[in-house]
Amino acid sequence: MRLDTLPRVDGERALHLLRDYGVYVGVTLIVLFNIAFTPHFLSLENFRTQAVQVAPVLIVALGMALVIATGGIDLSVGSVMALSAAVISLYLGYGPIVAVLIAIVVGALAGTINGVLVAFFGIQAIIATLAMMIGGRGLALVLLPQLDGIRSPGLRALGSGSFLGVPYLVWIAALLVVLVAFLVRRTVFGRRLVAVGGNRRAAELSGLPVRRVLLGVYALCGALAAVAGVLVTARLQAADPNSVGVLIELSAITAVVVGGTPLTGGRVRIAGTVAGAVLMQLLVATLIKHDLPPSWTQMAQTAVIIAAVYLARDRGRT
Amino acid sequence: MNEQHPIRPSLLTTVAVCAALTLVATGCARGEDDAAAPASDGGGEGQAQVLDEAASGDETCSAADHGIEGFDLTDKKVGFSQSEAESNPFRITETQSIKDEAEERGVDLITSNAQSDFAQQISDVQDLMSQGAEVLIIAPLNSDGWKPVLDAAEADSVPIITVDRPINGTACADFVTFIGSDFVEQGRRAADQMIDTLGGEGEIAILLGAPGNNVTTDRTDGFVERIEAEAPDVEIVFEQSGDFTREGGQSVTEQLIQSEPDIDGIYAQNDEMGIGAVTALNGAGKEPGDVAIVTVDGTEAAVEHIVDGWISAVVESNPRFGPLAFEAAEAFGAGEEVGTNLIITDREYDAANAEEELSNAY
Repeated sequence: MRLDTLPRVDGERALHLLRDYGVYVGVTLIVLFNIAFTPHFLSLENFRTQAVQVAPVLIVALGMALVIATGGIDLSVGSVMALSAAVISLYLGYGPIVAVLIAIVVGALAGTINGVLVAFFGIQAIIATLAMMIGGRGLALVLLPQLDGIRSPGLRALGSGSFLGVPYLVWIAALLVVLVAFLVRRTVFGRRLVAVGGNRRAAELSGLPVRRVLLGVYALCGALAAVAGVLVTARLQAADPNSVGVLIELSAITAVVVGGTPLTGGRVRIAGTVAGAVLMQLLVATLIKHDLPPSWTQMAQTAVIIAAVYLARDRGRT
Repeated sequence: MNEQHPIRPSLLTTVAVCAALTLVATGCARGEDDAAAPASDGGGEGQAQVLDEAASGDETCSAADHGIEGFDLTDKKVGFSQSEAESNPFRITETQSIKDEAEERGVDLITSNAQSDFAQQISDVQDLMSQGAEVLIIAPLNSDGWKPVLDAAEADSVPIITVDRPINGTACADFVTFIGSDFVEQGRRAADQMIDTLGGEGEIAILLGAPGNNVTTDRTDGFVERIEAEAPDVEIVFEQSGDFTREGGQSVTEQLIQSEPDIDGIYAQNDEMGIGAVTALNGAGKEPGDVAIVTVDGTEAAVEHIVDGWISAVVESNPRFGPLAFEAAEAFGAGEEVGTNLIITDREYDAANAEEELSNAY
């Protein structure tokens, strides 16, 4: 009897540990692999490059984590980035600060529309945000039909400058991580959004302003996506509404899920999301640095996603 | 959900927020400097496509061979199906050139754009025919998969001219002619420029286009073939896809200069990726000329980078198909023999001619 039960219990415990901390193991393994096998990996410049490249995906993933914690999903983040890029280009005549603020407002508005559709009309998040994904990209291309170079020195500095040796992009991403983590752990809004995701009916019955919470979460996700759009535009030194943010929703969802946030909602792991984004970035970087075909990158990403979802699969039962 | 939603107020909210979104997005926009608007004047002498007689082959097709009655192009309605969104300079210039030529000749033109969706393009072309197009000019997204369209066109005796990419099929039966660049040759010429710039030795990287695209494959094959044949001391150490986008070119180049800091040259399979590479090198503190960059396309932005020293050479891929396509259609209709494989000669831009030829870039 003991022989029967003991390994099973241990196995389950190991599975739980792996589910919660697997992403950190993954990051550690891939860093060790690179230290051993990738020339020039251990250089400050390389870490800067990886951090700068991961920053936009990470910021989008933060918003995505909040939406997923409520049991929803936001497919429109890439299109909101495109809208933000288009708006920056249109408003740069007023100076970079005004243009960036308007871009973020537009992102929050797009998110608000998602929120209204989900919270008040009861439309499934995947459909509501799919509509915004298509319509948002369309509107962005109407506003700015083709790539437009950015000459504003302020915006260019945002994309390529640094403070204390750390690029502005990385500072901004780090600041937003801290803010979102604070929001989730220390504020009423944070507790409510998790409660809504855990059991919406119970949250409604206990008098939580469920609709307002959902509205706020989607608006925040839109605003964060717009920030990511600003940063990509600043880094590229061009607003490119046609290709900015294409497929980023998938990278963001992957980062969130790999980081241990269940797609069913009711739980959110910000540190895990950061690690998830870093893991996917390092995976892509490793394959590129070793000059492996791009198809390998896609297959490696798939393997990581399947592993993460497999580990998360028993969450409903426990 | 069976609870009552306050539908009307939230409907109003949605409408209001949508309106606000559009308003804020466009309201009182003011771009950086409006003087920078592209001054496309339809193309001067130097911009026109020129046929490469030697590369074009001897096969010809006439209306009689094709089994279509002769016609006068000016009476016909022409349909143009564009494959990709007009958001990059190549597609913008291509569509504009077709439209300009139709206007100049007073030909009735209807157009469609498939936005990179192949199924969409098939139904686009069918729509064009049902709208009464009697001559088709198609810029195909893919070479394969055109059987349903070809059959329908044959049944209606609609001649098809394909531009920039070929359609797989029998010339003079499935379509009249293909007009386009030789992408393999573009790769070879890019290799020549790279070999020249590097003096025949060095380590180079290739920024590939979108995977699974015949332009990517051809521009790679021609380049690799010429490098292997002519410059055994030039070594290709890195080949990664930048998906034909500026951002892709930038990200991949950033990784490249970390893992291969001594790279001597970069061959970008289009201008956008090449410009992305310039941004990445600039950001890494390199100086113009530290890394030789050769690209393909001939957009204005890339040719400007030759002038400021970042890009060594650009092999042109001329998108101004209007004049040649309509000329071929007219000759075909008049019963003349038309070549079935019309290959155009592409220009080259380098440090010697970039400044004076800048006006020919698109």
